[in-house]
Amino acid sequence: MIDISSTPIMIIILLGSVGLAIPIVDAYKKEKGKNKNKLFSAITFGTLILSLLIIISRVVGGEPLPGMNFGNDVLTDDMFGSFFAVSLLIVSIMVSASSWNFMRGISNYSSYYSLLLLSTIGMILIAYSTDFVMLFIAWELMSIPTYALAAFSKKDPISNEAAIKYFLFGAFSSSILVFAIGFVYAVTGTTNIGDSITLLAELSASNQTPDKLGGVIPISYLAIGLFVAGFGFKMGLVPFHMWLPDAYEGAPTTIGALLAAGTKKAGFAAAIRVIVIGMFAIGLDWSIVLAILAVITMTVGNFGALIQKSVPRMMAYSSVAQAGYIMIGLALAPYASSALDGSLFHILNHAVMKSASFLAIAAVAIALASYSLEKYTGLGRKMPITAIALSISLLALAGVPPLNGFWSKLVLFQSAIDSGTVISWGPYLAIAGLLNSALSLGYYLWIIKKMYLDESNDMSRVKEPKAILGVLVFAIIFMVGFGIWHAPLLEFASISVPTHIDQIVPPFGNITQN
Amino acid sequence: MTELINFVSISLILVGIGMYGLIVKRNAIRMIFAIEIIANAANLNLIAFSRYLGDIQGQIFALFAIAIAAAEVAVGLAIIIIAYRLYKNIDVSEYKYLRG
Repeated sequence: MIDISSTPIMIIILLGSVGLAIPIVDAYKKEKGKNKNKLFSAITFGTLILSLLIIISRVVGGEPLPGMNFGNDVLTDDMFGSFFAVSLLIVSIMVSASSWNFMRGISNYSSYYSLLLLSTIGMILIAYSTDFVMLFIAWELMSIPTYALAAFSKKDPISNEAAIKYFLFGAFSSSILVFAIGFVYAVTGTTNIGDSITLLAELSASNQTPDKLGGVIPISYLAIGLFVAGFGFKMGLVPFHMWLPDAYEGAPTTIGALLAAGTKKAGFAAAIRVIVIGMFAIGLDWSIVLAILAVITMTVGNFGALIQKSVPRMMAYSSVAQAGYIMIGLALAPYASSALDGSLFHILNHAVMKSASFLAIAAVAIALASYSLEKYTGLGRKMPITAIALSISLLALAGVPPLNGFWSKLVLFQSAIDSGTVISWGPYLAIAGLLNSALSLGYYLWIIKKMYLDESNDMSRVKEPKAILGVLVFAIIFMVGFGIWHAPLLEFASISVPTHIDQIVPPFGNITQN
Repeated sequence: MTELINFVSISLILVGIGMYGLIVKRNAIRMIFAIEIIANAANLNLIAFSRYLGDIQGQIFALFAIAIAAAEVAVGLAIIIIAYRLYKNIDVSEYKYLRG
């Protein structure tokens, strides 16, 4: 039984009770309109800040177990989970504060903020869970509220269309996950992630005598493949990305930020805990599959973004490309010691950069009521702070020094080059990543040029929404500040990556020693 | 062992039917049905393996999965009801705002 005072349980109790209390408070409060929006937004924002402070204080106090831990319980309290909890809570805080401006016109404030909180719990629990049953329940707790949130603008056909596409692919991917878990259970007879990984490693080590285990290894390969597909739908890897631009563009833009920066990162948390560790237990051949997926993902994402006319759609394709960069670290995890550091560092950076860009788009949508790139002409004069925040987040996404995105890409590409001593195709990933970063500058700079260099007829200043402005100023400070002084974030990432892989997975240890 | 293989084969046939429905049909309700068939095939798989291993954990997980699938479909049907109000139609191929 897990300790009641451990971090994940405290987060469930805090966020869950507030999330369930908000609709009840709404039912008792008779007054209508804007005050409720203000009240619930403030409650949500405060609760999320409080949970972020709890997690940070526990991390600073050194209470979570170091690295990635697999226990006998369904939840664990380790640094890996805390790292993802911090990045996901930052996203939720930015989204909840901006919703105060963006969601002003809707009818059900209480359900919006309640669903936001419940989805946040799901994302955080994914990172902490060490049992497949818990992982699946957390996965659905994250997904189901976001289906409803994507359809939240009830009168808007675009939001509804996005929600239908998102729902169909999301429900399909969760069925695939049940299949994958079923096959792992069939091979190992347990649903505990740590135990099943240990058993898989033993099975693959004893595979030299195939008289009685003949059918077991193909089934575990099938299970890993299904895991890649099931998590890949949420991560936006390329063969599974077709719903993603539609959903991110059509959903309310603040929810687009939550999907792009939040649910995607939670997918990576699950993937690192299950796929990366589990699949290298079976055999290392799998890493080439992940490497190919990484290269295809970043290339398709960047080429897709080049031809878009709608800015949120461009950002959606750009987030597909960013998933490709993060995959470099996952593919090279057994060959280079800093590969997973780079992935985690880029995950935290991408969470802030991507939500900043989506929320800047939301601010433009409030002020100018348009998502089209044409309307961004002269934005540097019309909405100066929003334009600066959007430019900085775009440059950080492209990896321009000295912003934070540069350092995480540097760590990733450096690890790809280092892995060249162990595996021959490693450095090609760095080359692909560099070429793609250059390509991505094409459309990022195109938006910046539109905002600052092009003249439009009406250059008068437009009122910028205040709450989003605050969020964007925070994002600017984060991106520039941690760009200049990136050491603490990299340190945090490197103490959060799995440290004792060698004990869990024997083949893994042999590779890292060589 | 033959019993296990029978159940797993039925589950794979159900997946085939579900994939067919998901790819060919364009009616939103039919697509949800197809997804439900796939989800139930996965549950059948779990229960068959649980019975074969003589371990109760798989059946517990199947119960969780059934309950969660019900919640998921409730949200999906709500979205489709809104779609019907907006378009007077639940043919997915008619929804064409998002392209590119």
